[in-house]
Amino acid sequence: MIITKKALSRRALLRGFGTAVALPVLDSMTPALAAPGANPTVSPARMAFLYVPNGIIMKDWTPKADGTGFEFTKTLKPVEAFREKMIIMSGLDHYNGQALGDGAGDHARAGATWLTGAHPKKTEGADIYAGVSADQIAAREIGKQTTFPSLELGLEDNRMVGGCDSGYSCAYSNTISWSSPTTPLPPEINPRAVFERLFGDGETTDPAARALQARQDRSILDFVREDAARLGADLGAGDKRKLTEYLDSVREIERRIQKIEERNTDSAKLPAIDRPAGIPPTFEEHIDLMFDLMTVAFQADLTRVITLMIGREGGNRTYRSIGVPDAHHGLSHHFNDPSKIDRLQRIDQHHVEMLARFLAKLQSAKDGDGTMLDHSMVVYGSSLSDGNRHDHLDLPTLFAGGAVNRIKGGRHVRYKKGTPMTNLFMSMLDLSGVRPEKLGDSTGKIEYLTDLA
Amino acid sequence: MFLPLLVATLVSISAMSLHAASSDVFAYVEKSCAGCHNGSVKSGDIDLKSLHSAKTFDEDREIWEKVVEKLKLGQMPPPGIPKPEWKATKAVTEWLEGEFARQDRTAKPDPGRVTARRLNRAEYNNTIRDLLGIDIRPADNFPADTPAFGFDNISDALGLSPALLENYIDAAERSVRAALFGPEKRKPAAVHYSAPVRINDSRGTRSLPKDLSRYDETGLSTLHSAHFVHRFPVDAEYNFRLVLNGHRPNQSEPARPALYIDGKFIKEWEVDATDLEGQIVEVRARVTAGEHLLSATYHKNYHGLPPQYGGPDPSKRPPEALINPRGKLSEKDIETLRKYGTRIKTDGIETRIDNRYEAIDIGGPFEQTMGAPAESLKRIFVCGHTTGKHVDACARKVVSHFASRAYRRPATAKEVDQALGFLLLARKQGDSFEEGIATALQSILVSPQFLYRIEREPSAVAGRNAVPVNAYELASRLSYFLWSSTPDEELLRLAGEGKLRQPAVLEAQVKRMLRDGRSSALVENFAGQWLQFKNIDVVRPDPQKFPMFDDALRLAMRRETELFLEHIVREDRSVLDLLDANYTFVNERLARFYGIDGVTGPEFRKVDVSGTNRGGGVLAHASVLTVSSYSTRTSPVIRGKWIMENLLNAPPPAPPPGVPPLDEAKAGGGTLRQQMEEHRKNPACASCHSRLDPLGFSLENYDAIGKFRAQEGGAEIDASGSMPNGSIVRGPGDLKKILLERQDDFVECLAEKMLTYSIGRGLQHFDLPAVRQIRRETAENGYRFSALTLAIVNSVPFQMRRTPDK
Repeated sequence: MIITKKALSRRALLRGFGTAVALPVLDSMTPALAAPGANPTVSPARMAFLYVPNGIIMKDWTPKADGTGFEFTKTLKPVEAFREKMIIMSGLDHYNGQALGDGAGDHARAGATWLTGAHPKKTEGADIYAGVSADQIAAREIGKQTTFPSLELGLEDNRMVGGCDSGYSCAYSNTISWSSPTTPLPPEINPRAVFERLFGDGETTDPAARALQARQDRSILDFVREDAARLGADLGAGDKRKLTEYLDSVREIERRIQKIEERNTDSAKLPAIDRPAGIPPTFEEHIDLMFDLMTVAFQADLTRVITLMIGREGGNRTYRSIGVPDAHHGLSHHFNDPSKIDRLQRIDQHHVEMLARFLAKLQSAKDGDGTMLDHSMVVYGSSLSDGNRHDHLDLPTLFAGGAVNRIKGGRHVRYKKGTPMTNLFMSMLDLSGVRPEKLGDSTGKIEYLTDLA
Repeated sequence: MFLPLLVATLVSISAMSLHAASSDVFAYVEKSCAGCHNGSVKSGDIDLKSLHSAKTFDEDREIWEKVVEKLKLGQMPPPGIPKPEWKATKAVTEWLEGEFARQDRTAKPDPGRVTARRLNRAEYNNTIRDLLGIDIRPADNFPADTPAFGFDNISDALGLSPALLENYIDAAERSVRAALFGPEKRKPAAVHYSAPVRINDSRGTRSLPKDLSRYDETGLSTLHSAHFVHRFPVDAEYNFRLVLNGHRPNQSEPARPALYIDGKFIKEWEVDATDLEGQIVEVRARVTAGEHLLSATYHKNYHGLPPQYGGPDPSKRPPEALINPRGKLSEKDIETLRKYGTRIKTDGIETRIDNRYEAIDIGGPFEQTMGAPAESLKRIFVCGHTTGKHVDACARKVVSHFASRAYRRPATAKEVDQALGFLLLARKQGDSFEEGIATALQSILVSPQFLYRIEREPSAVAGRNAVPVNAYELASRLSYFLWSSTPDEELLRLAGEGKLRQPAVLEAQVKRMLRDGRSSALVENFAGQWLQFKNIDVVRPDPQKFPMFDDALRLAMRRETELFLEHIVREDRSVLDLLDANYTFVNERLARFYGIDGVTGPEFRKVDVSGTNRGGGVLAHASVLTVSSYSTRTSPVIRGKWIMENLLNAPPPAPPPGVPPLDEAKAGGGTLRQQMEEHRKNPACASCHSRLDPLGFSLENYDAIGKFRAQEGGAEIDASGSMPNGSIVRGPGDLKKILLERQDDFVECLAEKMLTYSIGRGLQHFDLPAVRQIRRETAENGYRFSALTLAIVNSVPFQMRRTPDK
């Protein structure tokens, strides 16, 4: 709702980071990008997962032809400029998103399954259970090298009260990131808060101020740790779990402080950005500002893993800017009404237009010897294909980026029936040097990602 | 009435139990249930066939509770399987309920165990406010708390991530520094609020009052005004720029735009124009930090109009002849008009009175008030405060006092010593006494003992499975239940003196807390989530269909429900008022919307609604009716479900797998009602919809934003439905009757929701005796709100904690 005039100019500046004008600033950061111990000549691959809710009008999404000769469909048209940088993937499934005897609640299951591949436990209570998500598996490993293992972002606050989806906890539809099967990571939707998290809460990104802040935070953390230790003895089992969660967070923040201090000695210069005022009034401005922050976070190597929920699963955003006043989820049950399908398609296409903006920002951001897009793996998709019927199979999936020049784009790949979505994530993790045994229902790595002539 | 079985009272349970025995139950199960619920089919993962030992009602209580529920709701046996005689079903359910009651009487009460509860966003904000004397709501930007069981204060669902802990560290610093050193210096910034366009509604005469001689002369309740709630970051001057829009008829006297803040007059301007678009007026005013309601309005909007409008004080300006909607203007006319309007339209004569606002821009802060608030210094420096004159002995007193308030119990010497370390450190670094105190206070606000409400684990007592929580823990349970905030000095003092548990003291405290202003947290956080009226902030009715729904109406709808509930809480009214009351609270805007006459001005007041179609109770509140609708139309299903879930404690199960959802709006598929009747022909749908739909249909006279309507699209509204027992429910009056006949179910529902909220955990089967007890005590005391609250406070789950398992 609130955005300041001042912030508008700041945002213009922020946008400028992707352009040639601002490049000198970024170049001065480049030495800092190579984390200690990493091979300085190889840029790390960044991962971004962008989720759109309520399914997609598939007939306007899926290209007719497979392979390299495909034509961009109406919905995908806005990203055609990046043709050679992307793979459209058809046929990937989330078997575990289906009811499997649990009845209604496909939206909750869709959200919970997308990055976990796990069949979430049906409960409205506190005993939620899904699986660890792909981004968090990546964050555990490659996140060690950055100040923030990962960022979880969103664009839709869940201020609705009451139940979410048919007997499922709201946690399932509000988030796609799970650090453990019982720990959903709620997305941050306020760009100002994201900025402050990344760059501290000062008006600027002055390293000396941040170092002072870090020292003080450290002494406070020492205090609370001692305090918590005294407490430990006379706690019940449930309370001990809570305390463990608390102490784990203390440790993680201490690790971050250490990272900040290391970087400060490295005299790393952070981009000179002013903090955003808050949540912009329109969806388009909001997502744009998030994209700016995501790009800068990648550029400054503050994190290498980001998830962005463009909407909450089952969310009811309206899109008046493109003449769709209907609530998205309500509309997604279109019952083959052509005018509803048309409006949904417009929403889908609008989302892809937004994606194009993000890809453009990554493309124009320089990173080492290439562009940020070349050094990224961006997955854009939904965990429902046909939202009307709640179909969890043949999911709309777009993979973009070069994963440090290891991917050959310009293709539409149709995977064979029954290929788990999680196989794609297994491959991406593998490319990042992270090799978990399994992710949800994965059966191995996906084909035709890098293994192409 | 609704289902004859459901109105059974306890008395009849014990009487009827004579008519059945456990062997009858087994015979009934064998005949009507075991066909599917047996060892080999095991439908729904339930095998009833294997349960036939005498002890099964004890041991498998949860399964049998479910059986009773399904039988009572008529969900089992499912359609297609022969229904047993209703008398047999009734005898079985009553026998089982009698058996449960017998078990409950003999069983040791089990209070369950609440795990450490992290402060949620609302609790954190209020606690900081009450500790430090500053209302800066630092938690508003924290990630949303995950709700469970309908509430966002359930301990097991309140997790903590590193990101959130960072928020806490940050918030502690901001809050403490704001309290000790005053707000941080803010750079000015501008915030823009654009007003919704309501041209459709304000064009022509539709929005004009019938009687122009009597209307709200402040304009605050008319559609011409615009209202926004803005949070001002600091005490300072702010610049307010109002951007005007719309038109005034030629020959009118100048428009009088005006600005109000929190209903208080700030400034009036005169703008002489027929076309107001883009005109700007500005004023600078000093505002305190926090949320304020900004209202841009037009004073005496129907005064000074051309005489033929029939308004008061008509314009004396010439030329009368011009006022002809279809007339053309001559050069001379234009010249004359120019004399009387700084900007005029020359292509036709302006007849519209649709002057309104395009936007409000707020710039600031300027001339920020710096320095610490006196109230904060008083609360923190309990030794007295003069900068630079602190004696060391005071440090201990200050830190000890603050830690004891923050931890909600006396801080130990060790805890205080540890925090005092920061003062030594500050001195070593050459920092001031205040700086040392600041860091000490910040650390305390990041401690798990502050962020969590941890109750100590009771040691096992031989022969007892539960012990009372200690007096300080009880004080916290009370204050977070009724205030969503930390216990005040009085509660802590009574806890320290060991008096809080004395029944007369406890009762007096509960009543004091309900009367206290802080109990509005109970309305906002408990009732707002229970009745879901908080959602009025986020719903977006379709502006094409409901152009009159603007933020002023939204705020008014919410305010009505809040005031109504606060009235019940503060005046200790009967909780049955929620279902049926002959009063509500409206201002002129809402009164006009409701069609209630004789209310002028923006202030809310209590009005008698007995003779109107807003027949009282929350089901007649536009807030509730709006949040239970789609953005474009009503949904009898959602409203029916809302009633079942929130008022009768009988949430319908999710639709069975494979059943296509009802397409209520299918093009060309007949009326909504016909489609729903079609839908109900499917027996799988009918078992629930035959209950939901008639309840929802009875509210069809209220549209999707709660406005009364007799017709829709030219057709008369049919607000009737036939209940499963064949009786007809027609309109809100009948609905109210049905609900009042089931007042036991309603009070039990309310008791269950409120107990859940108060103890921060989902209820389990062992809580049911407590719920029934609360319902009985509430009924015995005339259903007064304080009786319900006291019954909850005195209940076993609220008072006690289970001892550890051996």
